Amino acid sequence: MRLLLNGNEAAAHAARLARVEVLASYPITPAAPVMEKITQFIAEGSMKCNFVRVESDHSAMAAALGAAMAGARSFLITNSQGLAYMSEVLYHTSGLRQPVVMAVVNRALAAPHSRFPEHGDVVAQETCGWVQLFCENNQEVLDSLIQAFRLGEDEGVRLPVMVNYEGYIQSHTRETVDVPEQEAIDNFLPLVRRPVLDVNNPLAVNTVTGPELYMDYKYHQDAALQHAGEVLEEVSGAYARITGRDWGGAVSGYRLEDADIVLVAMGSLVSTARLAVDDLRAAGEKAGLLKIRLFRPFPAAAVRESLQAARAIIALDKNIVYGAGGALARELRAGLYGFPAAPVYSYILGLGGRDVGVEDLAGIYRQVSEQLGSGTAPAPYQWYGL
Amino acid sequence: MAVKELPVVPSARPGTMAAGAAMERIRERRPVFEKQKCNLCRECLFYCPDAALAVDQGEVRVDLRFCKGCGICAVECPVRAITMVPEYAGNRGFIEK
Amino acid sequence: MELIKTLAEVPEDELFTGGHGGCRGCGAALAVRQAMKVLGPRTIINIPASCMATIGGSGLTTAWKVPFYHSLFECAPAVASGIRAALDIQGIKDVNVVSWAGDAGTADIGFQSLTGAAERQENIIHVCYDNETYMNTGGQAGSVTPYQAITPDTPAGKPTPRKDMLAIMAAHHPPYLATASVAYPLDLMQKFQKAMAIQGFRYIHILAPCFRGWGIREDQTVQLARMAVECGLWQLYEEVDGRRRVTVVPERRIPVREYLRLQGRFKNMDEAAIQDLQDEVDRRFREVQS
Repeated sequence: MRLLLNGNEAAAHAARLARVEVLASYPITPAAPVMEKITQFIAEGSMKCNFVRVESDHSAMAAALGAAMAGARSFLITNSQGLAYMSEVLYHTSGLRQPVVMAVVNRALAAPHSRFPEHGDVVAQETCGWVQLFCENNQEVLDSLIQAFRLGEDEGVRLPVMVNYEGYIQSHTRETVDVPEQEAIDNFLPLVRRPVLDVNNPLAVNTVTGPELYMDYKYHQDAALQHAGEVLEEVSGAYARITGRDWGGAVSGYRLEDADIVLVAMGSLVSTARLAVDDLRAAGEKAGLLKIRLFRPFPAAAVRESLQAARAIIALDKNIVYGAGGALARELRAGLYGFPAAPVYSYILGLGGRDVGVEDLAGIYRQVSEQLGSGTAPAPYQWYGL
Repeated sequence: MAVKELPVVPSARPGTMAAGAAMERIRERRPVFEKQKCNLCRECLFYCPDAALAVDQGEVRVDLRFCKGCGICAVECPVRAITMVPEYAGNRGFIEK
Repeated sequence: MELIKTLAEVPEDELFTGGHGGCRGCGAALAVRQAMKVLGPRTIINIPASCMATIGGSGLTTAWKVPFYHSLFECAPAVASGIRAALDIQGIKDVNVVSWAGDAGTADIGFQSLTGAAERQENIIHVCYDNETYMNTGGQAGSVTPYQAITPDTPAGKPTPRKDMLAIMAAHHPPYLATASVAYPLDLMQKFQKAMAIQGFRYIHILAPCFRGWGIREDQTVQLARMAVECGLWQLYEEVDGRRRVTVVPERRIPVREYLRLQGRFKNMDEAAIQDLQDEVDRRFREVQS
């Protein structure tokens, strides 16, 4: 069924199709319409789900975690300040290996106060141990959220998953979205129950853990997160078989085959960059695009393979790690270290909702092309669009 | 060194602390019961923070794996049937076996 | 519901076993032991940062025989809300969902999630085990630490009085609210029995002394808990749908001075302050007992 949906509505439909059992969320702009839509689904009887009307974002994450530990499929939404406020519970959720799924409707962190999109909120949580997926359009929001449950609940993964899409650019912009049939999703996503708080099998969870065990737990957790990258390929493939839509696992390339200079982006910038590549190609440039769909675990091997023939790489970061640069650029440089690949030109752009259009990306491409031609080494990072 | 096999969810199985209890390592005194005085009111059982006391075959018995020697039972016994006696003798803290 | 009338009727099963890591004479562990006797095996308990969250589990060992989660400091009632939502959707009934916090996890850092869960009338039991200080971090003062109590961060005595958590919780109109004391186990266990028989948000506040924080001997935990009741500072009552009933009238009344003078933490309290407190206690005692 094809519907005209904004990103938030697509997310709500994904929760409905995934048969989410517990929603615990606290309103925050611009994510709140997701919970409103889900509570509407519950009220009209098209969804069987308990909504916990918590008093804060911190409690939302805590209740979602409690629900998952008691065996229910658990979902929530947030962004920016709410995500920052949840931070310590994010670590509990991954450390306790609970497959909660969260839609993060990316928005800038204050101060100064902003309600507009960028990736600073999720980048601030890059070490929290969740799988982190980024979506370029509303169809991908719906598809990735459904895939997120299967990925997180996979026996070898058992980790929480964040699905990121940007405030307003995606959350409040309508696009045609194909909504799969319930039966197809039920087959793709059978209900898995692994209650850890179970009166029939009592366990004491999160006991005080000393140096003799803590590090081993963390080894297993990191290994499971790394494994999630492999499982995503399998999950994306299975999803493609039922819907015909293949989002390509961790990364996907566009016109990469003979590309000299490759733009690398996450989120809504990917769609913009695709158009820029088309324009550049039409102008005779050997431009390409690498879409990063999976930010955690970072798919370093897939990135190396995709970029091995490039002469220069342009990292487009809608975030700033103060004093260090763009999060994506940092990952690319680390992932490509020791490979004779290309220099990484790092651009910080689009913060706090500042618009980035096709012509901006084409302009950045030309800047890099010139620098490459003149043999200018890339700066650690540069700000674009001030 | 090999990585340890652990539960996926960091957790412990029930009864495991009781199984490894060895409070003689920290106990400085232990309760001694005068059976003749005890009226089996059971108050001491419910004032013991360590689940060390139980009525067994008509008398209160102390499980010395659990007893830390706090002495609440001796203070609370309404008929003064419990006395705390030192686990060690002498001023150098020698532990009696 | 058949209320337990004598200690001999209480189940022998220990759902919080010996071998735990509490100090000698631990009032917190004592409160849990007494309550677990009646809460029984069909209970899921979560305890936020506190002594009680840590002493029952170390690495791969635990003293708990019911499902237990050591939750984060400020969110035990929210975790419990999520657990209840999950059980309900799975059709799992007859399970007590309990958030069990110290005075910090209840009245201070945990208060936001507590007031949220209480207002939503979540079907959970929240227990505050109150030792009147932050004992897990060394005994610093919190909002329910008494006036003039000496703590590591109020070395001259706490300059402000104790916050009235019972009044605050009563303002949420819970179907069941009670005070309890580790010195009155039968009363405490009966209150848990009554709470379990009621649906909705239930609040039980237990005074559970800590010998280290109070400056008493380790064998005086129960004695001081009882004296708190006898002097009238801690009155034992319950409120069912807001109707108060005193459950224990102390057999003897003692002056608050007698209670205070046994505790090292009140050694700086002068006679005038003690008299003021006595007047306040007498007024409050008449108000509650009437």
